[in-house]
Amino acid sequence: MFLLLMHVFSLLLQNKKKEFVSTTPYRLRKRLTAPDPYLESESEYSASCSEEDEEDQKEVSTVLSGQKTPAKTKAASTPPPRNTLAKKNKNKMANLVEEYFEAHSSSKVLTSDRTLQKLQKRRLNQQTLHDLLKKAPLAYAAEIKELNQQHERLFSKWMLQLHLGFNIVLYGLGSKRDLLEKFRISALQESVHLVVNGYFPSITLRSILNSITEDVLNHIGTFRSPPDQLEFIIKRFKEDSSLELYVLIHNLDSQMLRGERSQQILAQLSSVPSIYLIASIDHINAPLLWDQAKLSLYNWLWYETTTFSPYVEETSYENSLLVQQSGSLALSSLTHVLRSLTLNARGIFRLLAQYQLENKDNPSYPGLSFQDFYQQCREAFLVNSDLTLRAQLTEFRDHKLIRTKRGADGVEYLLIPVDDSTLADFLEKEDEDL
Amino acid sequence: ATVYLPLKVLSPPVFSHLSIFLHMHILEDLNKQLFDNLVSFLRRSHSEFQEKTTEWTCRMKSKEIPTAALVLGVNVTDHDLTFRSLSEVLQNNITPYIAFLEAKDCPGVKKLMQKLMGQLMNCYVDVDSSEDEDYVQVSHNRIRCSMTSLINWYESVTKKTDSETPSKKRTSSSRHWQSPPVVVVFKDMESFSTKVLQDFIVISSQHIHELPLVLIFGIATSPMIIHSLLPHSVSSLLCIELFQSLSCKDHLSTIIDKLLLRASFPFKLGEKVLQVLINIFLYHDFSVQNFVKGFQLCIVEHFCSQPVSVLCCQLVDAKKRADSLSHDQCENIRKLPSFRRYVESQVSEKQIALLTEDTYLKETTQKLLEDLHVYHENYLSVLRCLHVFTSFLPKYPLGKQIRELHCACLENQVWETEEYESSLQLARMLNKSDLVTMLQQCVEIFVSSSGKEFDNTVEKLKEFLTQFQKLEEAFQEQDVSVSSQKELQKKTDLYHLQKTLLELKESRRYKKLTKFEMLRFDVVDYIDSLVRNYLVPANHKTLHEIAYFNTASVLREHLNAAPRIALHTALNNPYRYLKNQELKSDEGSISNKAPDICIVYKLHLECGRLINLVDWLEAFSTVVMAAEGPNADAASSDQVDDIIHARFIRAVSELELLGFIKPSKQKTDHVARLTWGGC
Repeated sequence: MFLLLMHVFSLLLQNKKKEFVSTTPYRLRKRLTAPDPYLESESEYSASCSEEDEEDQKEVSTVLSGQKTPAKTKAASTPPPRNTLAKKNKNKMANLVEEYFEAHSSSKVLTSDRTLQKLQKRRLNQQTLHDLLKKAPLAYAAEIKELNQQHERLFSKWMLQLHLGFNIVLYGLGSKRDLLEKFRISALQESVHLVVNGYFPSITLRSILNSITEDVLNHIGTFRSPPDQLEFIIKRFKEDSSLELYVLIHNLDSQMLRGERSQQILAQLSSVPSIYLIASIDHINAPLLWDQAKLSLYNWLWYETTTFSPYVEETSYENSLLVQQSGSLALSSLTHVLRSLTLNARGIFRLLAQYQLENKDNPSYPGLSFQDFYQQCREAFLVNSDLTLRAQLTEFRDHKLIRTKRGADGVEYLLIPVDDSTLADFLEKEDEDL
Repeated sequence: ATVYLPLKVLSPPVFSHLSIFLHMHILEDLNKQLFDNLVSFLRRSHSEFQEKTTEWTCRMKSKEIPTAALVLGVNVTDHDLTFRSLSEVLQNNITPYIAFLEAKDCPGVKKLMQKLMGQLMNCYVDVDSSEDEDYVQVSHNRIRCSMTSLINWYESVTKKTDSETPSKKRTSSSRHWQSPPVVVVFKDMESFSTKVLQDFIVISSQHIHELPLVLIFGIATSPMIIHSLLPHSVSSLLCIELFQSLSCKDHLSTIIDKLLLRASFPFKLGEKVLQVLINIFLYHDFSVQNFVKGFQLCIVEHFCSQPVSVLCCQLVDAKKRADSLSHDQCENIRKLPSFRRYVESQVSEKQIALLTEDTYLKETTQKLLEDLHVYHENYLSVLRCLHVFTSFLPKYPLGKQIRELHCACLENQVWETEEYESSLQLARMLNKSDLVTMLQQCVEIFVSSSGKEFDNTVEKLKEFLTQFQKLEEAFQEQDVSVSSQKELQKKTDLYHLQKTLLELKESRRYKKLTKFEMLRFDVVDYIDSLVRNYLVPANHKTLHEIAYFNTASVLREHLNAAPRIALHTALNNPYRYLKNQELKSDEGSISNKAPDICIVYKLHLECGRLINLVDWLEAFSTVVMAAEGPNADAASSDQVDDIIHARFIRAVSELELLGFIKPSKQKTDHVARLTWGGC
């Protein structure tokens, strides 16, 4: 019975696969202006490759069907309603709305099932990605430079307008970080200014306000809430008319500053006459952040500054699917948690980490079994009973430092869900500390 | 590096004008009426409390809190301005104890009380002196925020003012009374939660005999909202009086009248610019503040971008400046299109003189500047005069507001438009009494105008008026003759009757105009001649570039920007920005030479709701490889692959940053598309 089902399933898959293969390269071929022999061979290659893939495909999808909800599997296996694509090229702008509803009408999504894992390509980490991109020359560097120079001519105008009570917001494709940085260097060298890297994942409103109160106003003390702090800042700026502050915010629309409350406070801050705000936005929906009230507080002048520069800094913190987790964040959290634990607990964790690193070349390493682990800990005089070890492990588990898995034989296996390089870094650091 | 603060670029007199308008004193006078009413209301509201009339009436009435419902209109952004001036007015006339509450600060009654007491105690410090600041600090943190503590505070404050030194007392009592009311303003009444409002009202009504409280509700929609927010049991505790502020359209009209339709203000807006500003106002926000902001931007832009704007100031200064123009500035004047037209219309010797001799040019410029000034004065008077007529006509073919008429006149020669033609037609059908009142209004306008050429016009109009007067007398006589004629008709026989009727019909067809009709025609013709003489569009005038700001595109770009369109254009058609011939391509296809992000973007447009990253990558590399050509040797192909992979990763994460896609957990290695269609 099961076999039969499998057969049907694979048949369906085959259909789908063929369907897909026949579409993608076709579309590509049509799109390219001049067909060349290289391309032909390319598409053929992908077709044959998919035949070979069949075996793997089956395996993957059975695993999938085991994990996923039945509805989803059904959705993936039903034959596709072929539509949208052909139409779209013809009259692009015609029925945008209809297209939208067509695409969202059913819960079925039609895409191929290929995964990156099978691509025979290692996931790049942040560093190698950076190095690789350095090798690739930036296209149209001359034109981009020209474009940027056009924007740079606006600097003096920006200064004037900032002083007349407007605030400036920059939009358009391309990173505006360098442009703002140039503006800062050429115009703001001698004035008090604050640069906020909005794209930084751990930036908070409070840290912005703190740097104003502490560094600009030299105030020592804490505030109960951001509105209180804001009130204090506004009061100080009103009292002392000689105070002036330029605030540069890269990505005012970033994940962390997007919230209604942060925007409200930033808007109020920007409406202080001697605080000059110049900010950049990138997200297509960024203008939706502001309602009439906030807009009037911000008093924006919009400037289109399309730069076409790559968003190097801005995207480096993104958790992209394609980039391997850089691990630097994981590493710091790991050390932070362990710092707060007892010496013995740290020792226990080290043992586990070392064992895991020793076995890193073993692809079927299941983890360290509890019994073995207890034995090792006892030998190192770290625990005296298996109860203390269990208590310790519970604490680790609460901090998500370890994961337990029950093997086929019912034995508990322990794993640290961090990649090996991070773990190695961590151990190195620990050694330095000791 | 020294040009970073070119405030000196702005000619000082204009800049002082500008700063006046920046602070928008105009808006304050606008609400004067409203504020006067409010002040008298506040005075009235607690007179009983003040005079301590019989205990009994006090207690009877005391459960009701005097409340002013202030209907402010939908232009929420302007409210702050109104409230600011309101607080100034109240502080000067009624009471130092004013608290402004906003809904976002008051999620509960406790917070509301905290906010209220904080603000009230701060005013106490301001009024008194700053010597006992630490006392306030303590009270701020420690005092339990309750009505009782508020009353205690109020008592202590009023007692303190009583026991103050006589001199101080006199100053304070001249402005405020012995026990001034406590005014609580709810800035945005609609956004308060009903529970908070109700609780606050019920609690404070219990204490109204100890604390002279007055509430002011700021309402953006309609006064009905009070009754839908508060149940009867609560609203009966309020003694509500309604106040209406000026509507935002009237605000705008006044501002346009004060800023644009004044000859004394040297800076003018061109037709397109004015239209953009008005459109933003009418179709986007109804915000007077934004209109003024746009106007400020126009001023800044004009003085930054137009070199001849140095001459944009009062006529006397302008003449002086024209006299001391440098050679370069003279050249700038020669470059003006309107000036070129002027030169071409001159005889050849003069042409040469204008183009070569700076001194002659300066003289001419002075003369032309004066002409321009005279033109403005005349223009405005005649415009107002024409508006008197057009605003009376049915269906308003030229618009109801003077700003619409102004736009029409600026745009092109108004007498050539159809609308003008039809309004003249309509004007020829006006009745006498309307016509007379209009003429009288026109006379007033011309008499009060600063233009010197209107003496004759006034004469002429007065003459029309006396003719109308005479006509009235003549008409009464005519009336008698007509009735006698009718009597005569009665006695004729059928044949004669028929004959006379036919004759009458004939005569009606070729009827000679009555005297009134003739006069009416004369009046309309005369107005028409005035219009043709004086309402010449500004851009026909020589040197109009000095005073008029015409670049509407700048305004649209900076005030009403379209970031999504910019992004879409950059991704779809990079040639717009990067002027490289290789990027020139037709819309539909994907150029393999385009920047990576454009290719990735175009590929993603062809996908559905979910996008498979592997397929996307493959498509990308196919496109890019085609660009690089098949001759990439096999040895380095792996290397190249890695770079393409990296470029793809970068482009995808940039798209994620821009908000086009997001990672999806529905399927492994898929991203979800977030936009649809154009952008």
